Amino acid sequence: MLKSKTFVKKTRSGGVVKIVREHYLRDDIWCGSENCTECKQESAVLQRDACIESNLCSYPHYLIPDTNVLLQQIDVLEDPVIRNVIILQTVLQEVRHRSAPVYKRVKDMIHEKEKHFYTFTNEHHRETFIEREPGESANDCNDRAIRVAAKWYSQHLMKSQSDGDGLRVVLLTNDQGNKQKAEESSLLVYKCEEYIKSLIANPELVDRLALSNDDKNEISSSKVLFPEHLPLSKIQAGIKSGCFLQGTFRASRDNYLEATVFVQGEGEDSTEVLIQGLQNLNRAVNQDVVAVQLLPQSQWVAPSSVVLQDEGTAKDDSAEEEEEEEEKLKISAEVARKPTGKVVGIIKRNWRPFCGMLNVSQIKESTRHLFTPADRRIPRIRIETRQASALVGQRIMVAIDGWPKYSRYPNGHFVRSLGSAGDKDTEQEVLLLEHDVPHQPFSQAVLSFLPKMPWSITPEDMAKREDLRRLTVCSVDPPGCTDIDDALHCRQLDNGNLEVGVHIADVSHFIRPGNALDKEAANRGTTVYLCGKRIDMVPELLSSNLCSLRSDYILKLYFRGSWLLFHGFNFLLLPFFPSPPYVLVQASLTYAEAQMRIDDATKNDDITESLRGLNKLAKILKRQRIKKGALTLSSLEVRFHVDSETHDPIDLQTKELMETNSMVEEFMLLANISVAQKIYDEFPDCAMLRKHPAPPPSNYEILHKASKSKNVAIHTDSAKALADSLDMAKVDCFPYFNTLLRILATRCMMQAVYFCSGMDSDFHHYGLASPIYTHFTSPIRRYADIIVHRLLAVAIGADTTYPDLMDKHKQSALSNNLNYRHKMSQYAQRASVAFHTQLFFKSKGILNEEGFVLFVRKNAIIVLIPKFGLEGTGPTLKVEQHTFSIFDKVKVTISLDDSNIQHQKIRMALTHPVILGVSVPTPDVEPQAKKSKLDR
Amino acid sequence: MATVQVSEAEKVYILHGIRDDLRVDGRGCEDYRHMEIETDVVSNTDGSSKVTLGHTVVLVGIKTEIGKPRPMVPDEGYLDFFVDCSANATPEFEGRGGEELGTELSNTLYRAFNNKHSLDLKSLCISPGEHCWVLYVDVLLLQCDGNLYDAISIAIKAALFNTKIPRVHISADDEGGREIELSDDPYDCVRLNVENVPCIVTLCKVGHRHVVDATLQEKACSVASLIMSVTHRGTVTCTRKVGGGSLDPESIFEMTEAGKRVGKALHAPLMKLLQQEESLGRKKQKVGFLS
Repeated sequence: MLKSKTFVKKTRSGGVVKIVREHYLRDDIWCGSENCTECKQESAVLQRDACIESNLCSYPHYLIPDTNVLLQQIDVLEDPVIRNVIILQTVLQEVRHRSAPVYKRVKDMIHEKEKHFYTFTNEHHRETFIEREPGESANDCNDRAIRVAAKWYSQHLMKSQSDGDGLRVVLLTNDQGNKQKAEESSLLVYKCEEYIKSLIANPELVDRLALSNDDKNEISSSKVLFPEHLPLSKIQAGIKSGCFLQGTFRASRDNYLEATVFVQGEGEDSTEVLIQGLQNLNRAVNQDVVAVQLLPQSQWVAPSSVVLQDEGTAKDDSAEEEEEEEEKLKISAEVARKPTGKVVGIIKRNWRPFCGMLNVSQIKESTRHLFTPADRRIPRIRIETRQASALVGQRIMVAIDGWPKYSRYPNGHFVRSLGSAGDKDTEQEVLLLEHDVPHQPFSQAVLSFLPKMPWSITPEDMAKREDLRRLTVCSVDPPGCTDIDDALHCRQLDNGNLEVGVHIADVSHFIRPGNALDKEAANRGTTVYLCGKRIDMVPELLSSNLCSLRSDYILKLYFRGSWLLFHGFNFLLLPFFPSPPYVLVQASLTYAEAQMRIDDATKNDDITESLRGLNKLAKILKRQRIKKGALTLSSLEVRFHVDSETHDPIDLQTKELMETNSMVEEFMLLANISVAQKIYDEFPDCAMLRKHPAPPPSNYEILHKASKSKNVAIHTDSAKALADSLDMAKVDCFPYFNTLLRILATRCMMQAVYFCSGMDSDFHHYGLASPIYTHFTSPIRRYADIIVHRLLAVAIGADTTYPDLMDKHKQSALSNNLNYRHKMSQYAQRASVAFHTQLFFKSKGILNEEGFVLFVRKNAIIVLIPKFGLEGTGPTLKVEQHTFSIFDKVKVTISLDDSNIQHQKIRMALTHPVILGVSVPTPDVEPQAKKSKLDR
Repeated sequence: MATVQVSEAEKVYILHGIRDDLRVDGRGCEDYRHMEIETDVVSNTDGSSKVTLGHTVVLVGIKTEIGKPRPMVPDEGYLDFFVDCSANATPEFEGRGGEELGTELSNTLYRAFNNKHSLDLKSLCISPGEHCWVLYVDVLLLQCDGNLYDAISIAIKAALFNTKIPRVHISADDEGGREIELSDDPYDCVRLNVENVPCIVTLCKVGHRHVVDATLQEKACSVASLIMSVTHRGTVTCTRKVGGGSLDPESIFEMTEAGKRVGKALHAPLMKLLQQEESLGRKKQKVGFLS
């Protein structure tokens, strides 16, 4: 049977066009129930015995949720208790239009066999198809479709009941009008909330109910705290005309009353608009896309340098306290004023489930509690739960439902519990979730693309590739490293030149473009190294075994090396070989071992000789780089000695840099630069490169301020000038000064990013002073390197291209994802280090150390402890007698402040210089005494 | 126009019959053949109709689009006619054969509608000088058996009656640009008032008398015809003479009077029929092209 759907649509050019679509009705859409005798379905999805213990519906029944119920209460429906649900096609399509993430979750639920969810295509079923009536709105039409389908179902199932065992159909809707009409047509209908509450066997489901806007039992003080958000049409009109600006909302980590909105201007620059004060923040949450209106210039303020945390209670009427806090923020410094604005509307919410902990309310019987997210930029969330006592001390995940304008905090609901706080695995899980690091085990689809073990190079490959087994190749890496991607060799030729080769694992041989393994690696983007755990980008079989260049006497496939010929002090880059070689790794050494070998004059074997050659050449290369203006900056990296049994950190040391580190680095850099040049020459449009933009002069302010305080001149007009002036920056009696200055300089730098050569014109890498750069040398742990390998393979004729490789838009999107993953992995790594540092200090009690002042804030100083590479905040409050200046030497006590389990802090208290009211007395150095304090 | 070969004997027969007010198929001189009208036959269009007048079948489809008004009349919309003589009708129309006839027909239509009373063009205006509705009237000749003008004009009137123009509002942007907003409801539309739309009556002079709705055979016998478009009040909006023969001024006057009478009588039943069809609404049985 043929029907047609007609509607009128607006075209992009402003015209109006009538669309007519044919719509077919069928007679063979089955109901999906096991019980049904009429339908000729092959396998029924809905069970015959669909019982859930409920005191409203004591008979077996199927549920039909309507769209709003599905959108809002998805968390409840995902619970394994809820089964035998019919999802109508109308409902599914509406969900798809309104929320893509919820749609994905619904699809996943439908595919899960144990949930017994059935999709009923009611719009194509002859008996449940309805046409829109004149005067009916789209919503009414959908509601009517749902009711008609429910009615049909109940009648249809009734037919198959022989003894009336009462298999019924229950419609779940929160819409009053719909419920009424359904009751009129004698359907069984309940509000979602009353139904869930009736499931007496599963009371925990009630907690997962999202609070809907209909709930009038909200705090009845309908005092409107926030200005109304403007509707989307007004916002769009305003943006077009220029009254409003659209940008991403970034809350401040330190100050809950302040935030910045980054507005994307033309090209790369973005303007920042400061937002201060709760009213102006107007319920925007971090990462939302918002519309801001600039305030008149007279109301512009400067960003506050006060550190403020939200200590408020759950009550809404603590507005007065907030106002006081806001007053503290107002600073009248004219110079420091920035464009300030207020949020007038939200364009797109970017809410995700947040990890954090529950702040149990003081009132004993209360079910409403405040949830404090781990991420400081997210406001606290009010949730309703009965299990508060069970959740205390646990890390939980909560999703936000909405933020009505009369509520001080957003409303949300509990999603799931992660484990007890402070527990290492839980904390690691929280870390990975908060930084959006994909860490699930690799799926079967991905693993199916791995080669079968035992694997060895096939004779065809051997024929195609060059045999370089005669070379002495060795790899030098950190201790305990299993994913070795690079190896070097160096030998003397007859004509006195030195031949050096850089060998990189040929990962692209195993990861072919387009398959599930490739897609997963592209999504992960990089391997994440946490303390004690490594989240691999590619499965372990490849990363630690087949691709890794270990010295286990198995022939390894290599990628092309870049061959360098040294003639005196200059080097020539030989053209790449047309066929990638294969080679045998002679030795894998650690940096320390390699260094020892070089220094040991008695050793003279091939490996040591080649190491010495490499070392010598590396030094030459480094000198050349410095001459061009490369920067050597410093950052404190720490290494943990982990107890083998408890896996707790026993000791914490800064990493030492040896000559061999630098040696490997130099050759890697050289390889990267030469490959970058080669792929750019071959593919000027779609090469994957890496750039490091020069920082704007404003970034250097802290550096200038710091150097001026010690009367040292730092020139920042060019990289070379900076490098030279850093080298010269020395202060008598203060040997650590240079390192400190370099540490500060690192903070001024911009992030290096990947980009596609066709989409950008600035290729310069500031830090390395190189006109072009890419990542080539670590394909096991970085996806960008795999792309570069593929490009290079095409360039030397060893492999074929595929369409996505040549598409510059796809490459650009890929590089954006890689940059995001790289950034997130760095944050995750830092957070992991911070966590382990805290664990370390937990066991140590109070320590007494020396440090240097890095930054001075209004009510605190940031102190750097070189021994541990630690940075912490020491409160100073109002300091009258003593002004702190940057780089002052101070003595502090370090201890772990675990009063707030979520944000355990390293607390530093000043012991020297002694300031009344601020410093604490130096604790006794007796370790015995310390221990006894701990035993308290 | 399609032609048929008529022998001398047939011509005499037809002439004598008409002299006695008796035509070959038994009609009187001022009678129309059996006419069937159906609207809303083409679902893609905003309005359509199909008219069968004896063996002449004409299909009209009207599409509404938003366009720029004519510079001379910025506050009016306009109609755009296009007549397609398809090869379906007769093999003579194959390729570009039907183009001449098509152009002639559309020109006549333009003239017939070229006055401000036939259709309220001001109601087609959306925002003066910038946007207006343009009605593209497309006529398709499916079968040709004489009297094309009449059939086409009736079909156009029916199609215009059937046209549903979507309701739009113009919202002003701050920059001065206009945003067109469409209403969500497919039933929310504007209908046209077709009271004043004229119908064309063709009178053919056969011998000393004139006939309305001539068949092809009768056409072959006539020397000249007068085409006039008449509104429901009897006003004549345009006249044309076609054919090689000459017409006496007196006969022209007579024919005009007859045309006015016939035309006036045509409108009322037509409107009644169209409204009756409309009132059937959903229950209407669609016949379409299957009978």
